[in-house]
Amino acid sequence: MPAGTLAAPPAPTAPAATGGWLVRRGSRLPAWLLAVLALGCLAVLAALPALVSQADTQLLVNFFVLLVMSVMWNLLAGYAGMVSIGQQAFIGLGAYGVLVLAMNGVPTIASIPLAALVAAVISLPVSLVVFRLRGGYFAIATWVVSDTAMLVISSVSAIGGGTGHAVPGLASLSPRAFGRVTYYAAFVVVVLAVGGAYALLRSRLGLVLAAVRDDEIGARSAGARVLRARRVVFVVAALGCGAAGALLAVSQLQVQATAVFSVQWSAEMIFVTLIGGIGTMEGPILGTIVFYLLQQNLANEGAWYLIIFGTLAVAIAIWAPKGIWGTLERRLGLSLFPLTHRVGPVAGTSRPPRSPGRPTPHVERGPGAGARSGP
Amino acid sequence: MAPLLQLSGLQKRFGEVRIADGLDLELEQGAAVGIVGPNGAGKTSLFGLISGDLRPDGGDVRLDGRAVNRLDAASRCRLGLGRTYQVPRPFEGLTVFENVLLAAQQGAGTRGRESHAVALSSLDRTRLSPDANRPAGSLGLLARKRLELARALATRPRLLLLDEVAGGLTDPEVRELVEIVRAANAEGMTVLWIEHVVRALVATVSRLVCLAGGTFVADGPPQEVLESDAVRAIYLGSTVAVAT
Ligand SMILES: Nc1ncnc2c1ncn2[C@@H]1O[C@H](COP(=O)(O)OP(=O)(O)OP(=O)(O)O)[C@@H](O)[C@H]1O
Ligand SMILES: [Mg+2]
Repeated sequence: MPAGTLAAPPAPTAPAATGGWLVRRGSRLPAWLLAVLALGCLAVLAALPALVSQADTQLLVNFFVLLVMSVMWNLLAGYAGMVSIGQQAFIGLGAYGVLVLAMNGVPTIASIPLAALVAAVISLPVSLVVFRLRGGYFAIATWVVSDTAMLVISSVSAIGGGTGHAVPGLASLSPRAFGRVTYYAAFVVVVLAVGGAYALLRSRLGLVLAAVRDDEIGARSAGARVLRARRVVFVVAALGCGAAGALLAVSQLQVQATAVFSVQWSAEMIFVTLIGGIGTMEGPILGTIVFYLLQQNLANEGAWYLIIFGTLAVAIAIWAPKGIWGTLERRLGLSLFPLTHRVGPVAGTSRPPRSPGRPTPHVERGPGAGARSGP
Repeated sequence: MAPLLQLSGLQKRFGEVRIADGLDLELEQGAAVGIVGPNGAGKTSLFGLISGDLRPDGGDVRLDGRAVNRLDAASRCRLGLGRTYQVPRPFEGLTVFENVLLAAQQGAGTRGRESHAVALSSLDRTRLSPDANRPAGSLGLLARKRLELARALATRPRLLLLDEVAGGLTDPEVRELVEIVRAANAEGMTVLWIEHVVRALVATVSRLVCLAGGTFVADGPPQEVLESDAVRAIYLGSTVAVAT
């Protein structure tokens, strides 16, 4: 600790301990339980291709793709306050990235991260333009960017123009091997997307996003660089959506501009995020699960399928505006992806400092105790 | 050495209301200065101009000799300018500790355990430690005002702008607050404090300015300023205005 800085705190005594207080991240569920749950989920997902049919594997890939998209949209809209309806721009760029790379002999699987990176790099100049606008104008601008990208790309005949192009490379695999390859590629992308989003929200940047969500002016005057935080999220979301688009290209072995640049993707990611619970890590995951369960059970009902989705969206908007998880979380007070900091005494095991009413005038031991009684 | 804060020819108006009409002010390093003035004089707006929330129509704000006109509020904070808001702006969904942690990480540029230490230390100074884990949204007005102070302190400012942090406090609470601010000032923090609770100011500052009609109508030792004709006329004027 540099001497002479204002309000310099006393040197910490124990690991993660600060002047008698310990800062932990957590929820009501113990960390080991959450870790076991996470590992259990990963193990089940890793084993699934051996347990389910070929068709189900393909379905799971589509599930993963939508999951990645909604996790990204949730970062944008739920945490950074940027309602984009143009994320299909980066889905399309990711898909075409895979196509172009594969056509140039890059191994298809290796092309997924590269294509995602291309989408992320392109999102930087895009952010310079769309960040000039706010709210509804921002949303429309993202859509315009996406349609522009689609028009430009479908005018290039070397990559199929408007009719699309097959992705070379994986077609020679047996259906079974192909199913496995695409499944594990999608699985890795999901783990990175969910893990990355969680890591981002736990970082200093995540705290900035949470503060800005509550009071932007207050956050700025406390030193938070809001524009920078938003830009990072925008690029991360482009990276994620680019990866999702790359997965689409790989799993469908075909890229067609109006399909990959379709605003339908935005509609779906918004829908699942809202029903699951916007602004929570769990929301988009739960929402995507609900979406796929409904879709599987209603696929034969024709138009009813759309009517039921619409009704569900309206019902949730009215009675549970925080979505399914948001409502559950408030009732149960638990979190599977804890972000909250908890301050507790170092020696004590359980009770964090808590007072029933007004602040008490005295604290027996605190970090600043040494700061004022210095030499 | 350049003054820590220098305002020169600062201009700002909202429509017909003149907030700043060519304001000049210099604050030496380590000074403690109070600002008084009638309601609506533009004291809070002046803090907005200094901290970067508001853009001046003309004139300069210099921090440590450096013109900061083109810098946003976050950059000014990172240069060592901490402020509180008269109407508190807590991050309601975060805990009290996290409110202050944000300031320690962003404003003071600390990370990891050091940021925890800075945050805990400023909670301790403001006697908010017992509330560390409470959601800031559940705090009452007085605790919110303390949190404003804690957050500003956690940015480790060289210049601390306080906007009516003593309003509504009981006598012992005012004394406690004065003690906190004096301690910060004694460590070298420069303080500029807007306050209607004059006894808190008098106990803390060595210089008082009075803002009215877009200019500083008085400037000097607290007692002299409070007894000056200009200040008496203004406060008398506002009393009459209220009475009629
Ligand atoms: N953003 C704004 N737009 C228009 N007018 C404003 C704005 N902010 C403040 N004002 C007006 O400017 C004047 C000065 O307001 P300000 O809050 O700065 O006064 P103040 O001296 O802090 O008053 P008080 O002692 O009541 O806190 C008021 O008449 C107010 O209505
Ligand atoms: Mg004011």
